[in-house]
Amino acid sequence: MEKRISFKGGGSVKAIGLSVMRKEAANKVTGAATYTGDLAVPGLLHAKLLTSPFAHARIISIDTAEAKKMPGVRAIVTGRDIPILTGSPLEDRPIMAIDKTRYHGEPIAVVVADSEHEAMRACSQIKVDYEPLPVVNSPSEAILPDAPLVHEHLARYKQVKTVSPLPGTNIANHTKIHKGDIKQGWAECDVVVEASFSFPQTDHAAMETRCVQAEILPDGCVTIHASSQGPFIVKKTISKTFQIDMGKITVHTPLVGGGFGGKAAIQLELIAYAASKAVGGRRVKLVNSREEDMITSPVHIGLDAKVKLGCTKDGILKAAEITCYFDGGAYTDEGADISKVAALDCTGPYRVDNVKCDTYSMYTNHPYATAFRGYGHVELNFPIERTMDMLAEKLNMDPLELRLKNVIKPGDTNPSQAVLTKNAIGDLEKCLLGLKELMNWDEGRRRETVSGKVRAKGISCLWKTSITPTNASSGAIVTFNKDGSVNLNCGVVEIGQATKTVLAQMLAEKLKMDVNRVHVTMDVNTDVNPEHWKTVASCSAIMVGNAVLQAADDAIRQLQSTASIALRCAPEEVEIAEERAFLRHDPQVFVKLKDIAYGYMYANGNAVGGQVIGRGSYIMKHLTNIDQAAGTGVPGPEWTVGAQAVEVEFDPRTCTYELVTAVSVIDAGKVLNPKTAAGQVMGGMCMGLGLASREGFLYDDNGTVKNQQFRSYKLMRFGENPAYVVKFIETPKLDSPYGARSVGEHGIIGMPGALANSLSTAAQVNLNQLPLTPESIWRLKTEGDS
Amino acid sequence: MIPFDFEYYKPASCKEAVSLFLELHDRGKQPLYYSGGTEIITMARLNQVYTEAVVDIKGIPECNVLEQQGEQLVFGGAITLAQIEESGMFPLLAKACHHIADHTSRCKITLGGNICGNIMYREAVLPALLTDSEVVIAGEDGLRQVSIHEVFDQQLQVKKGEFLVQLITEKRFADQPFFCEKKTKLDKIDYPLLTLAALKVDDQIRVALSGVCAFPFRQAAIERYLNHRESPAAERVDNALRQLPAPVLDDLLGSSGYRRFVLRNTLFDALEALEGAET
Repeated sequence: MEKRISFKGGGSVKAIGLSVMRKEAANKVTGAATYTGDLAVPGLLHAKLLTSPFAHARIISIDTAEAKKMPGVRAIVTGRDIPILTGSPLEDRPIMAIDKTRYHGEPIAVVVADSEHEAMRACSQIKVDYEPLPVVNSPSEAILPDAPLVHEHLARYKQVKTVSPLPGTNIANHTKIHKGDIKQGWAECDVVVEASFSFPQTDHAAMETRCVQAEILPDGCVTIHASSQGPFIVKKTISKTFQIDMGKITVHTPLVGGGFGGKAAIQLELIAYAASKAVGGRRVKLVNSREEDMITSPVHIGLDAKVKLGCTKDGILKAAEITCYFDGGAYTDEGADISKVAALDCTGPYRVDNVKCDTYSMYTNHPYATAFRGYGHVELNFPIERTMDMLAEKLNMDPLELRLKNVIKPGDTNPSQAVLTKNAIGDLEKCLLGLKELMNWDEGRRRETVSGKVRAKGISCLWKTSITPTNASSGAIVTFNKDGSVNLNCGVVEIGQATKTVLAQMLAEKLKMDVNRVHVTMDVNTDVNPEHWKTVASCSAIMVGNAVLQAADDAIRQLQSTASIALRCAPEEVEIAEERAFLRHDPQVFVKLKDIAYGYMYANGNAVGGQVIGRGSYIMKHLTNIDQAAGTGVPGPEWTVGAQAVEVEFDPRTCTYELVTAVSVIDAGKVLNPKTAAGQVMGGMCMGLGLASREGFLYDDNGTVKNQQFRSYKLMRFGENPAYVVKFIETPKLDSPYGARSVGEHGIIGMPGALANSLSTAAQVNLNQLPLTPESIWRLKTEGDS
Repeated sequence: MIPFDFEYYKPASCKEAVSLFLELHDRGKQPLYYSGGTEIITMARLNQVYTEAVVDIKGIPECNVLEQQGEQLVFGGAITLAQIEESGMFPLLAKACHHIADHTSRCKITLGGNICGNIMYREAVLPALLTDSEVVIAGEDGLRQVSIHEVFDQQLQVKKGEFLVQLITEKRFADQPFFCEKKTKLDKIDYPLLTLAALKVDDQIRVALSGVCAFPFRQAAIERYLNHRESPAAERVDNALRQLPAPVLDDLLGSSGYRRFVLRNTLFDALEALEGAET
């Protein structure tokens, strides 16, 4: 029997807080989803890079004569053909090496040919005469007074954003923090610990290697297809670099197979443009091999750091002195900003009233660094969290207790003296208490098992803000289909983070309709999508989300206006739900959205209203420029906080270990989609554990990378992972869509510290270098005596 | 993407394969025998292997034998590591094969390829060394069957054009107690810091190692010391450790000092597994 339910006004329609399946899931799992590398058109030409085998060498000559005669070859471009310096924030990087090469893997020339294998073959016929130069093989070497210079003409480089390079040295950026009175701080300390830390550069290791296609049409219009986290930045950069009107440039970004910050950098796009130009504008495809993706394109920054932390005998932190030398590699790119934000948030999420911090982004002859998940925070978290444990040990205090005493709270300031309001920061204390319970902390941190192994737990606290341009903006456009369903048009890149699905949930919640009837443009096309700054910094859902809500309000106003004519009432009496516009006081009087979204037509054919196009935009508020000299400023809109833990089982006989459990408790403000949020955090945890346990580039004495392939550079495999536990607490952020806080990057941040703390507890040695291989533990325990 | 062109041949007999190979060699094609192809494919794309012709031995019936013939177990050179594992014919060989690469790769990598390839570990040869197995080699003069010890010294020592057709092991070894462990830097799937295979035959322990030195080996002196039951385990192991035939590897996977540490532990484990000896 059919039961007729009368329309009640859509009060029960919910989308926020549900684990809605991601919109692109079916296409991805069946392999039908399209990525930049899948795009093929007739006549497509293929480009291949010749890269440097030396980490530092003068380029005496490049002879392309033989290579040009190879079958299928259309053109060869070298660095000297495009003598333009590029880079943000400092224009220190040639598009391809010009007079000298500064890292192993640096592009030297690009061959364009009819097929990829012909291009590869021609690359092997290019003769380059190099004169090797002494190398700078670590950030600690780079700072030495007699270190070779990676850049001799640092003073000549143009600054795009504020950076503080020091000409005549290898310092690409220096950020100073002076908070409180450090002398007074030390005077108040009863207990002080000091230690050194380091970890090497690592790879982003996205599943999809970086790929780009470029074409220049006869009318001068440029089309770029790029596997990028910043299609709008690509447009801007192509325009600026090659002096092309912005309106003539279109950038397309289909689904992106992971980026983790690595695809926010712009590199191959510029080479592909030059390659296309060399063949009369024909469409050229340039795709990284895995080996190129690992070292030719930018990497995750490395670090040598010193931390000194002091507290009273009751465990109240009083002073912190931190010095960091980042391994920024051969060019600045994001290295400068990473070192900057690391300084601004250097203490981690603890209240420390007296702070002195100096961070340096150092030039070395290593692959250059760019953004990486955690951006400055994952890097500093490890030394701070290790030092906190060392301090707790010296105090003979439980490390969780020490953290609880010092957690940052509303009203406190961060090291750059930004005031942390209740809105700006979540509830770390609650996270720590949640973690304590989940980890069964009170049973003890270290116990020996009957089989002679050791179970040990380690914790860490995390926080993160972004260092976003103070005017970063986003937009959204809402339109309707003639069946009443909705289209959402926005410029965020779908990179596996499920933002598009979450945005659809926001719109569905706002319009009180079925989320399956909300369609989101999946690919980004800079011609038609409103700009979203960049898909980075875990801020897309919040920035674009605010724009979406504004666009929805705008659309609702237009629908109310047209509906008021159909329903013969005032617009403000109209409510929208379940694809209907109805009288608030009598929902049975309604008109369907499909009958008003494109104007309302009277029985006689007269029409009024028109297409409903909702628009919304968002711009960052209340951010201030960072004063590099004073070390002050408000870098980002909020600080998400969390607490993490790892439990290991360690075998003291062999120094081997297994990951047992990893736990995260994060203040998400409001969980918009529980499964995708937990998935993001787990993915971050997995990355963090991989980073901490096994990843890292290995260089020989000449600065060449020895493990730029997955044979020798290991990632964590399924089955090597611990059991993941993710719990959220919710302290709403009032100016954020539905109260949400950023969670995209955060899972990674505390993992290295938590793992190092658990293993240090297990092995009873201070493990302050990553990666934490069994050999590194053995070496510390035995001093290398086999 | 493999940047060079090469010819592909798939002969149906050993004789045809050998004559084809030699002919291609004479024509300067730098031919390679091709079985699972994993090494050729992955190294050719990085220009670490070059050839203008490959001779695929998977079409040769003798290379595809996997059976018990009387008192002997016969393993064709083109049998995959995964097939050996699944056959259950020889648990020690199955275990040694199981440690190589990942399952997807083991469905491609063959016994012949693992023993004759460029990658130095060649773990599949360890059980053959322990069981004094015989190998069938195809060459210009047809097939010959010889002891593995005659032809395997660091790698298979054969003439140009010769290839491994079969490995023949006496069935009685399949039931003997064994120990086979692979130790890696950290990951479950990686090249070995070392692989130790041990077999107890007539109350004597036999040991073969891969990853310790730059080649797989079985060393009589190591076995002599290990089987010196009168001495305490630590003395047996430490004496055995002094008998290594070449310098211990020192590379990205581990330093020589760490390898010695791991080897020492693993030797104790082997003794304990095969003798229940106290460590």
